[in-house]
This record gives sequence, C-alpha cells and structure tokens, in this order.
Amino acid sequence: MFSKLAFKNVTKSIRDYTIYFLTMTFGVCLFYMFNSIDSQAAMMKLSTSQYQSMKMLTAAIGYVSVFISVILGFLIVYANGFLIKRRKKELGIYMTLGMNKGKISRILIAETFLIGLFALGVGLLVGVFAAQGLSVVTAKMFEVSLKSFQFTFSMQAFYKTLLYFGIIFLVVMVFNTISISRLKLIDLLTAGRKNESLKIKRLWISVLLFLVSAACLAAAYRLIIQNGMMSFGADFTWSIVLGCVGTLLFFFSLSGFLLRVVQANKKLYFKNLNMFVLRQINSKINTTFLSMSVICVMLLITIGTLSTGMGMSNAMTSNIKNTTPYDASFTYVYHQDDPKKQIQDIAKKMLADKIDLNHYAKEYVQLNYYDSKLTYSEFHFDRELLKQNFGDAAASQIESELPQSPVEVLPLSDYNKALALQGKPTVDIGNHEFLINCTVGQLFPQFNRYLKSDGVLTINGKKLTPAFKAVKQISMTTAMSGSDAGTVIVPDDVVKGLSRTQEILNVNYKPGADEEPLLTQLDTVYNKTAMENETIFRPYDMMSTRNKIYAQSVGLSTMISYLAIYIGLVFLITSAAILALQQLSEASDNAARYGLLRKLGAEEKMVNRSLFTQIGIYFFIPLSLAVVHSIVGIKVANNAVSLLGHMDILGNTLVTAAVFLVIYGGYFLATYFGSRSILRQSENSL
Amino acid sequence: MQKILSVEHIEKYYGNKGNVTKALDDISFTLDKGEFVGIMGASGSGKTTLLNCISTIDTATAGHIFIDGADITRLNSKQLSRFRREQLGFIFQDFNLLDTLTAYENIALALAIIKTPAGGIDVSVRQVAKALEIEEVLKKYPYQMSGGQKQRVACARAIVTNPALILADEPTGALDSKSARMLLESFERLNADLEATVLMVTHDAFTASYCHRILFIKDGKNFQRAGAREGYPQAVLRKNHRSGNAAWR
Repeated sequence: MFSKLAFKNVTKSIRDYTIYFLTMTFGVCLFYMFNSIDSQAAMMKLSTSQYQSMKMLTAAIGYVSVFISVILGFLIVYANGFLIKRRKKELGIYMTLGMNKGKISRILIAETFLIGLFALGVGLLVGVFAAQGLSVVTAKMFEVSLKSFQFTFSMQAFYKTLLYFGIIFLVVMVFNTISISRLKLIDLLTAGRKNESLKIKRLWISVLLFLVSAACLAAAYRLIIQNGMMSFGADFTWSIVLGCVGTLLFFFSLSGFLLRVVQANKKLYFKNLNMFVLRQINSKINTTFLSMSVICVMLLITIGTLSTGMGMSNAMTSNIKNTTPYDASFTYVYHQDDPKKQIQDIAKKMLADKIDLNHYAKEYVQLNYYDSKLTYSEFHFDRELLKQNFGDAAASQIESELPQSPVEVLPLSDYNKALALQGKPTVDIGNHEFLINCTVGQLFPQFNRYLKSDGVLTINGKKLTPAFKAVKQISMTTAMSGSDAGTVIVPDDVVKGLSRTQEILNVNYKPGADEEPLLTQLDTVYNKTAMENETIFRPYDMMSTRNKIYAQSVGLSTMISYLAIYIGLVFLITSAAILALQQLSEASDNAARYGLLRKLGAEEKMVNRSLFTQIGIYFFIPLSLAVVHSIVGIKVANNAVSLLGHMDILGNTLVTAAVFLVIYGGYFLATYFGSRSILRQSENSL
Repeated sequence: MQKILSVEHIEKYYGNKGNVTKALDDISFTLDKGEFVGIMGASGSGKTTLLNCISTIDTATAGHIFIDGADITRLNSKQLSRFRREQLGFIFQDFNLLDTLTAYENIALALAIIKTPAGGIDVSVRQVAKALEIEEVLKKYPYQMSGGQKQRVACARAIVTNPALILADEPTGALDSKSARMLLESFERLNADLEATVLMVTHDAFTASYCHRILFIKDGKNFQRAGAREGYPQAVLRKNHRSGNAAWR
C-alpha cells in the first residue's frame, strides 16, 4: 500500500522531480566516467612511464571523488529538503488522516529510494557509454593510439559508484526522517497560506551597504593583483576575507540598491511589471542572499578550474617543446672534494664502463661549465622587479639567497656546439665581450635591465662588456622546465685556469632508435648495489630524456585537466540545480501572485516576461559577479601559470563560456519553462 | 438607461456525458449603468460561478454575456485580458493584495498594467486614495494594515482604472462589522458620485441591504428577483440588521 502511494507520488510529481532527477543522473554519470579511467587504459598502448602517470591520475581522481561525493551529497540533501517543503500540505493531510510520522517517513524513504535507484541506473548506463568517449579523449591526451577499440566496463568504478551514492541516499533518508519528526501538523496545513515575514530594511541602508561591498571588492581585487598567487602572506588572506565579505554584502544589498535606483526613475519603475519583479526579488533576499553568495563562489571556482585547468595543461605541453631540445641529457655536478671522481668526459667514462653511446646516438656534445668566482650580486637585481615577477614572499627569499650564489660561465665554443646540435645558427662575440643565457622567464627583465646598463664583468682577470643588449634564451639541457638561472657565455680563452662546476652531455639519437635498450643498459651497469659498494661510480647525477618528460608532463597535464573538468562540472551542475530548485519552489509559492496579475488583466506575454526577468536575475547576477571575480582571478593566475609557459586565455575562455552556455543556460531554460507550466497549471485550477 | 451588463441564458456544466452537474441553468438578467446589484444565494448555489463567468475568469458552456455591448463569450485570451484590464475591476473576499508591494504600489500596479504613463499614475492614485480615505496608509505594506484598510486599498485598485463594471466577491466576508460598514458606505459613495456600476456576490443580508436590487440564485437558477420595486423591504432589512448589530455590541 505504502509503496504504491510512494510510486504514485513520484509519477504524479514528476515535474518537481525532473531537475532533481536529471542532476543526480548527471552526477552519477560523471562519477562513474572519471572513476573508470584505469579500466580504459586496458585498450591503450602505454609505456612504463605513461602507465605510471595513469596510475597517478587514477589515484588523484579517487581522492577528489570523496570530495565530489560530499558536494553531491549536500546537493541531494538540500534538494530533498526543498521537495519536502513543497509537499507540506500533502504530508499534513496524511497526518490528519491519522498516519503517524514513522509511516510518512517510510513513504518518503521509499520515494527517495525509487528515484535514487532510477537515477543510479540511468546515470550508470549513460556513464558507461560516455566513458567510451572519454577513453578516446584520454588516448589522445596521452598521445597513444588505441590498440583496438573495445567496449570497457569497469566493475570497480561500478561498485564504487553504488557504494558512494548508496551512502549519500542513506544520509538523505536520515535527514528526511529528522525533518519529518520535527514537523508540526499546524504548520503543515497552513504552509500554503503562510506569508514570508517581510523584514523591511530601510532602502538607504541597502545603498550604503552596496557601496561598502563595492569598496570591499575593489580593495580585495587590488590586494590580489599586487600580491599575486605565488605567496600566501597576510595580503593574500586579507584579499580573500575582503572578497568574501564584499560578495556577501553585495547580494545582501543588491536588491535594495536596485530598487532604490529604479524607484528614482518613475518611468522605469511603473513600466510594465518592473515594480512587481523588483519587489519580488527584494522580498526574498533575506533568505536567498546567502545561497546566492555560495553559488557565486562555486561558479567562480568552476570558471577558474575550467579555464585555467585546461589552460595549464596546454601551457605545459606547449612549453615542453622548448625545454626538451635534445633526446637525452646527462648532468654531472663536480665534486671538488673528491679527486677520484673528476671525470672530464662523460662519454669516455661510459665507454670505459662498456656503454658505447655511438651505438645509440647520431651525435652528442658535452658542455663544460666553470666557476667565474663572481656572484649574482654582480647583476644588481631590482627589488621591485623581483616582487612583480615572483610575488612578495618568493621575492624576499630570492633576495636573501641569490646574491651569494656563484655565477657559472660557459665557453663560447661549447655554447655554439649546443646551438648546432639543436640545428640553430651559432653566435659570434668579440674577444672582450660576453652574453647571458637564461631560461627562467621571470629573470629576463632583470638581465635585460643589467645588459642595457652596460655593466662590465671582470672574469679571470679579463674585463668583458655585453655583446647583446638582450638575454639569450637557449635551453642547454633537456628538462621539465627552464632551469638556467643565468649563465655567462665568454670567449674560450677566458675560462683557462678556472675550475669546473658541472658537465652536461646532450645526446641526439639515431633516427628511429629506441631508447629503452640504452636505459636498460645504464640501469644494469650503474645499478644500486654496485654504486653503494663504490665498485663503480656513475658519470652523471641526473639523466633526463625527452620521452620520459613527455610522458610525465602529459600525465600531469591530463590529470590537471581531468580534475578541473570533473570538479568544475560538478560545481556547475550543483549551483545550477540549487538555483533551479529554489526558483521552481518559489514559482509554486508565487502562483497566487501571478494569478492575481492575470485577474488584473496582465497579458500572458507580460506575465511571462516578468517571470523570465525574475528567474534571469537569480541566475545571472551570481554568474555576473563570478565572471568579474574570475577575470581578476584568471589574470592573477595567469601570471603564476606563465611560469610554466604561455597560456591560451581566449581559447579556454571560449570553451568555458560554451560549457556554461549549454549547462547553465539549459538549467535556466528548464527552470523558466518549468515555472511557467506550474503557473499555468495553477491558473487552470482556479 | 444604458445597459452595462446583459446576461442571456447562461449555462455552465461540469462533468461529462453520464454525469453532468449544472452549475448555472439558464440565467438571464441585465444591469444598468450606475446600478448597485447584489447576488445572493446559499453556498453551492452557483453565485461564484456566475461571477467568474462574467469576470471572464471562467467560460460559460452556453449563452451570451454582453458587457458595454461587447460579447465576452466570443473573445480570445488576448482580447480577454485586454477586456479584463480595461473594463473590469475586481474586489476579492481575501483582499488579494500583493504583500510585497506598498498600498500605493498595489494601486499603481493596476495602472502600470494598462500602461498608464508614469506621470498620470501618481495623480490617479492620490485621487482615488482620497476618495476612499486611505491616504495615510499609502506607504504601508499590507501586513501593516487592518482588514478594512486592506479592503479599501483593494477597492481603490479596482476602481482606479475607471472600469465599466466593478465585480466584488464577498467583499465583506473577512471584515468585522464596523469595517464592513465603512466599506459599504464607500461603495455607496462611489456608486452615487462616480456612477460606478457594482455587482456584488454575498450571502450576508446586511451587506446585501446596501444594494439597489438583489438577485437570488438557487441551484443555478434565477430564484427570485427582488428589489425596491418588487416590494422587498429593503429599508426594514437594513434597519433590523443594524439594530441587531447594535444589540450584539
């Protein structure tokens, strides 16, 4: 009997449940899709390092999923609360008929269970198919080919989805039971008639608060732009606090402020139903300003993660082309104290250990660095410039450490050999000249400033002047990111008699050569036991190959992108669903008001337009503020990301905007049409 | 006398073939300009259905209704809402004021809906507020007003657009007797001074006693037409009720 009642209720109020149901389905679908990534790897040809990146990605998504399920759980509990509120009268009738609260709870539990089961089923079904599409994208991101397309189903992700959402539904049931046990019959029956008690604020207070909020936001923006996102000092904290306070005050005072402004213009105020719409919004602001602020922040996070998350991965992959000019690089840092380990020539030492590089390499070049006996204090770094490029905290650290660091020099012939290996034209400088090479972007302005000031360097007793007014940006090694903090390139005779600091051996493989055998051979010869027993020592401290770096970076960038999309989408549907549910329940509360407008002779078109405006304001005011926030945020984040490389702001913003248009716009339209039909229905029942 | 309202053989059925309920069964009557007419009947007699048909909120199954010469049973929905806002004024039992708007704005809303220029709105609102003695509550919200004040604001909203016909559905139903009397006296004044035509549904004899003419409905049919002309002891009825009320106090 009760299950029948529950089933009938669900089918009867299907409209109320549509948005709730769709949101849950979407949530389940996303959850399964991203958690099934490791099973998709089965159909890809992955190298060992790619496989490891994939493992890392799976683990990261696993952790984030816990967080995501908390967010979705919150949404579902919230949505259920709304649905109970909508049905107070119905529940009241059950109670007057003598049904006890326990039974009512059971009906609601049955309903939640039914809908949850249905949403889980549909969500999983859609998720399984969507996951196939995702695997194609993943393969593309990892730049591997699919062995052969095969339909995968992840049992693990399936169970995980069932478990997480099962827990969420349990929590919802507990919440429902609690809220039912707190209900009073009198409130249930009069719920439909009760008016929201209006807290009339004086309008000039709203205007004042609005100005205060604008000031707070302006101050927050100023602080964050000055401070940047690289240091988390007091300024950063203040900026976040002011931003939050400003956002809260903004929504608290906005409707009053708008009302005041529009009231001043009688023509606008008394035009059509403007007055009605403004008052509608103002009457609800006491209860909605908090949720609007939260939604604004969630949208900000969505915009932020979607646009910079995707951007960051692009920046990383595009940057990597510049930082990996050679197939492999071996770096050996000199041990001054241990004369046994002076090797002079990495390749020769390897040959002595029976590793013939010529077997693998088309060409290789060793670069020898020397100690100039100068320190960075020579370059007189500018404090303000450092602050601008690194942010406050990092700047002061650099300022205290860098001036004592030794400056390395590289003979011109070595430099030109490296250029030749990259296929780039060589450079020429005079006998009493030097040039500076650097691959750390933030230091360019410092060196350029120094070079333009015509500084004179005395190295090994020789006075040298700058050959170029600008810093050179050539990678001397293959690495994850630019790591050359400034090397002085000098004529060959200048380094005579200076002591060596490090050696770098850059290698280019023979065309079509596979690096795996070389790596295996290196691992066997220079194995751990041999090195610990000092029966052999390795002629390099670090080794990196382009392939490894690509795999790592692709893994990292895929991870960042996927996490960004995962979190961003969940936040987006959560905020849109909350807004939609609020507006739908408000529409049914407001049915009487709109009915009255019709009785007074307002045309259908006029009423619809005012409904559209009202819902539009609720949807787009939080979005607008979030967009303004994120313009500032992305600008600052971009400065931070520029460390990693150039970011395509426009492209990412367009993609993010398209995602918003489809999902957020979809929820908006669904809410509008849903509300309209609720109003029509109530009109017909008059 | 100019006929404002003419109801001809109105019928309203609910239900389907096998099970038909006749809510209105062949009702006809006319209303002249400047008349103040009451419709009385027991609950379920069909008086509210009749009012809904006249007010275009509901549609009749058969018959014709002419208001100011126009046959409202033949209008489409757009014409209907236009007709409603230009020709009719409504007063409801439970006031139906928008609780989010002040009294002033509630009255102004009716004018905004008929697209009155902003300049004209203020003059009209103040004029009608003066006539109904609600000038002091114009800035208040409905929840800050008494029932009588609310109903007079609703009344002001109904007449501010100068409608051809004012329809009142149990306007005194939610008022105490003092407020009811004040409202009815306002109606009388509006009727006398502005020649407003009023059609009022009520089941309260005291309220009905203010009408020039009363139409009785029973089971959806014209039961009896009564009025001063037909010898209905209007004055006596009013007197009795007033003394009765006095006794209660």
